[in-house]
Amino acid sequence: MTDFTIVLRSLRARAFSTIITILSVAIAVMLILSLLTLRNSGKAAFERGSGDMHLLITAEDSPLVSVLNSVFYANAPRRPVTWTKYQQIAAQAPWAYTVPTAIGDSYRGFPVVATTTDMFTKFVPAADAPWKLSEGAYFAEGDAGNWQAVLGSTVAQTTGLKIGDTIYLAHGYNPRATKPGSPDPAANNEHAHDDHDHDHADHDDYDADHEAESTTAVHVHREFPTKVVGILAPTATPHDRAIFTNLESTWIKHAKDIRARLNPPQDAPATSADLRESERLITGIYTRLVTRPGSDAPANLPQVFDTLRRDGSLTVAQPKQETDTLFGSIIDPINRIFVAIAVVVLITSGIGIMLALYNSMEQRRRQIAVLRVLGASASRIFNLVITECAVIGVAGALLGTAITLLGTRLAAFTIMTRYGVVIEPTLSPIIIIYLIVATILLAILAGLIPAIMAYRTSVARSLRPTA
Amino acid sequence: MPALSIRDCTFRYTHAADNPFELRVASLTLEPGDQLLLTAGSGTGKSTLLNLIAGLMDPQSGTIEIAGQNIHALRGAARDLFRGRNLGIVFQTFHLLQGFSAIENVMAALLMADKPASEMRPRAMELLTSLGITKPHALVDDLSVGQQQRVAVARALACKPALVLADEPTASLDPTNAAAAMDLLQSLCKQHNAALLCVSHDPAMSQRFPRRMTMEDLGGTGVPPVTLTQGGRP
Repeated sequence: MTDFTIVLRSLRARAFSTIITILSVAIAVMLILSLLTLRNSGKAAFERGSGDMHLLITAEDSPLVSVLNSVFYANAPRRPVTWTKYQQIAAQAPWAYTVPTAIGDSYRGFPVVATTTDMFTKFVPAADAPWKLSEGAYFAEGDAGNWQAVLGSTVAQTTGLKIGDTIYLAHGYNPRATKPGSPDPAANNEHAHDDHDHDHADHDDYDADHEAESTTAVHVHREFPTKVVGILAPTATPHDRAIFTNLESTWIKHAKDIRARLNPPQDAPATSADLRESERLITGIYTRLVTRPGSDAPANLPQVFDTLRRDGSLTVAQPKQETDTLFGSIIDPINRIFVAIAVVVLITSGIGIMLALYNSMEQRRRQIAVLRVLGASASRIFNLVITECAVIGVAGALLGTAITLLGTRLAAFTIMTRYGVVIEPTLSPIIIIYLIVATILLAILAGLIPAIMAYRTSVARSLRPTA
Repeated sequence: MPALSIRDCTFRYTHAADNPFELRVASLTLEPGDQLLLTAGSGTGKSTLLNLIAGLMDPQSGTIEIAGQNIHALRGAARDLFRGRNLGIVFQTFHLLQGFSAIENVMAALLMADKPASEMRPRAMELLTSLGITKPHALVDDLSVGQQQRVAVARALACKPALVLADEPTASLDPTNAAAAMDLLQSLCKQHNAALLCVSHDPAMSQRFPRRMTMEDLGGTGVPPVTLTQGGRP
């Protein structure tokens, strides 16, 4: 038998109160750890989306908006870049790749990214998850790839589409208006072209055209059945939610719309060779500069960045920097509020420990007095009470940590199996250790008042038969 | 060396200036193995006297020595440890540690007196067995009143004290159990050569103790203090 046995027996004697107090500490620890885990996982997920690109070039209003729209598919980009401009940029610097993207169409709420096969052969969406087909093939080069689609893993999982299935892409993309995975609008939405009074005289109307479509009902291109030719393996990036087609078919599709509204209407282009320069529009360019082997930071990046920024028609973003800005300026303060709330919960549970022990002190005065009569010094009694608090703190912290680790892994497994999104719950062991130590210290602090009460307990008074 | 020696000891409650109560003990000595009954009614100062002897209260003057050590000369943890090692106390309501087993209650006394860990369990088991406790690992809450009393006696004697103080030890028991408990307490104190100071207002107790004293004149306010002297009524 040791003093610790006395502590454990004392806690057991008040089992209900002890369990409730430990649970309240565990919940507070769980809350803090969950917030930190989600925050870290969220940031990691954001950092994954831009993959190995160095610069994202668009014509958007700001670098942050361009990253959100062209990498995370928050909205359809508002301003296009001409193909001629793309070619100029591609020839301007020693690029490892320049992958053009045109975003503005959708299928059941999922964004359609028109691009080239360089997207799959050169761009790497995440360092640990290069593109891999789980089924089928990528769309073919040039016009041979027209009306072929490659599905991101989430799209395939959510829609149940298979290789060989035919889909009808919709003009317009508004994730706020259409929930991903919503029913196929082609089944019941015959959105008439005539409803729109578009003037497609020049490419500036790319914005107005998509904006009009994206804020109202989508316009389904039923005349262009698109065949699913490939399904991508999960990459745990936003690209898992995208459908990839070639640029040519997107251009042809939109050129047909534009020409049909001209007065007099003109014939739709049959192949990309029939396209006019004003009809070859993209919305973004993923770029990566040539680097030395083993290095990810090209020496000429600042110079290329500055040169591109001098072109007033372009917005040049360094995605990793924009992600940091986003977290630093918007998400971090929100997270700090959440963490502050969690800390308040932890402090509240500390007060709970104090109240639980304080309330038990009245009934424990006699036990303390008996121990004093048996030879325990006042300081030994003080230590016993403090140890009780520390035990509650340790039990609560460990229980909270265990539930969080198990819970987040279970949640990650469920999300992966149900939605195909890989979320790796990451939390530094150092943070866990700090939190456990902080919880124990808080519990000890909470025990000070009851311990002082125990220290000052009058033995003679507490042992009176009437006491 | 006497188990208990009190000389010219006076006590009054300093925080209650208008309280004329004063306890004065001119001389009281108990040799090892002695057994003394102090008969007293409520409010006569018997608990105060026991608290003074146990070092839980300090007298204004005089000395109280237990096994040759003036307990009031010791301070803080040293006094607590001395009390734990040299004094056994049996309370009216036993004051067993709730939520602890019978053996843990006895071992707690040995633990608080800093006895070697290796001695705790054998000593506790030996005492409980000799007192007829057949379920030493049962929680004390689950024991009968008579068994609880025996556990309280075992705990008081665990550290082989020089002096055992018994404060109304039979007040919670029926006459049969009371007689059995007193038989046990007195015989064990004899066996361990421990002095026994028993405080009780139970008239039946007087037959058990050849040495008796009374404190009945001590209790009321405004009455003259009574001096206790060894060997009989003041």
